[in-house]
Amino acid sequence: MSRLLSEEEYRKTKAYRMKRWYHGDKDPYISKVEMKPQKPFKEDVELQRKRLHDELILNQRIYDVEHNNKILAFRKFYRFISVIFVAALMAILLYMVSYLPPTGDATNPDNNEVAAKYIEDGMADTGAVNIVTGMILDYRAFDTLGESNVLFIATCAVLILLRLDKNEKTDTTKEEEEENDRLYEPKNDIILQKVAFFLVPLIIIFGIYVILNGHISPGGGFSGGAIIGAGLILYLNAFGFQKTERFFTQKTYKWICFVALSFYCLAKTYSFYCGAHHLETGIPLGTPGDIISAGLILPLNICVGLVVACTMYAFYAMFRKGGF
Amino acid sequence: MAILEWIRFLVGAAFLLGGLTVFGIELFGVFHYKYVLNRMHAAALGDTLGIALCMLGLVIFSGFNFTSVKMILVVVFLWFASPVASHMVARFEVSTNEEIEKECEIDKGEE
Repeated sequence: MSRLLSEEEYRKTKAYRMKRWYHGDKDPYISKVEMKPQKPFKEDVELQRKRLHDELILNQRIYDVEHNNKILAFRKFYRFISVIFVAALMAILLYMVSYLPPTGDATNPDNNEVAAKYIEDGMADTGAVNIVTGMILDYRAFDTLGESNVLFIATCAVLILLRLDKNEKTDTTKEEEEENDRLYEPKNDIILQKVAFFLVPLIIIFGIYVILNGHISPGGGFSGGAIIGAGLILYLNAFGFQKTERFFTQKTYKWICFVALSFYCLAKTYSFYCGAHHLETGIPLGTPGDIISAGLILPLNICVGLVVACTMYAFYAMFRKGGF
Repeated sequence: MAILEWIRFLVGAAFLLGGLTVFGIELFGVFHYKYVLNRMHAAALGDTLGIALCMLGLVIFSGFNFTSVKMILVVVFLWFASPVASHMVARFEVSTNEEIEKECEIDKGEE
């Protein structure tokens, strides 16, 4: 590696500091911003007595609550006016409701060319029989990308707040483990295990079915992912963290979310730039109604489903144990 | 055939009404009892007998087709899941409530 700067000059540059911070050699906050735990609130008995006494004196002598007619009148007036205000607001809102157009009228403003376009050309444009999926994963795919990213960012935020450091303290006695809710795991329950053994594959297969049929029948990535996540949570509850950590850890979660979201992003970028209306993307739409049809919708559904399933499981594991 | 249709309607309606009655009893029990094990007993009633009677009534209404197979699958799923859920709730109540002797008798030989 060749450098133009000498070693000493290089150490002064920002790139060197950035590199050290990136590798974790130096934390810029240590010894500059101190994080101190908050002191528990404890009020002195003498101070508390004095405060209560002051309040009493203030109410009695200065405001003279019992004999001051002004304050009494104001309190009554306040209650009266608040009731009148709320009633007037309700009346105005109800009055305005009567001006709304009737439901199902052909001249309503929501009955415009956008909905007509979706219904008339939806299947020809997107190749999806289910118009809703065609809408959320083709016409409005950018919005769905934002939703999946929101799930990922929410998990990251929960990870920051709830994660336990591995190297904190590991040697706890058995009594302490039972006291600590985070470490307490239910003992193996034979009934739950037998039922989960039977139900978990069914639930996960049903979730996969819902995801893969997202463009044909009602369903799609979000609902199917939630079903798979529920199946994973049931498996975790029945068999404990030791079994699930064999195939699902934080690393798996990171990689699945990263690959799914970046594939979504790249695929949709390609089709936004090259496949706007009346341009040729080169992705065949297939016959509507087949499993492999509708162009990009099926892979995007799988991506969304993976992100949702992993997020459900990650939330559960994080709130249960603070890491997985 | 009109008589057969009428019989089908009456039988289906009887099953459906029976299921709704069970749900009513379940609701009454859940709000009437105070202790978790009693309430759980009442709540499990609707998830097993109530849902089964309602779904049976609907199956009789719709005849034997793909929709009714799905309804039967719903009942099978709930019959698997609901008693296990009740079992786990009861187990955790017994293992976490420190003053369980005040509420009911327990067999100390177990666990």
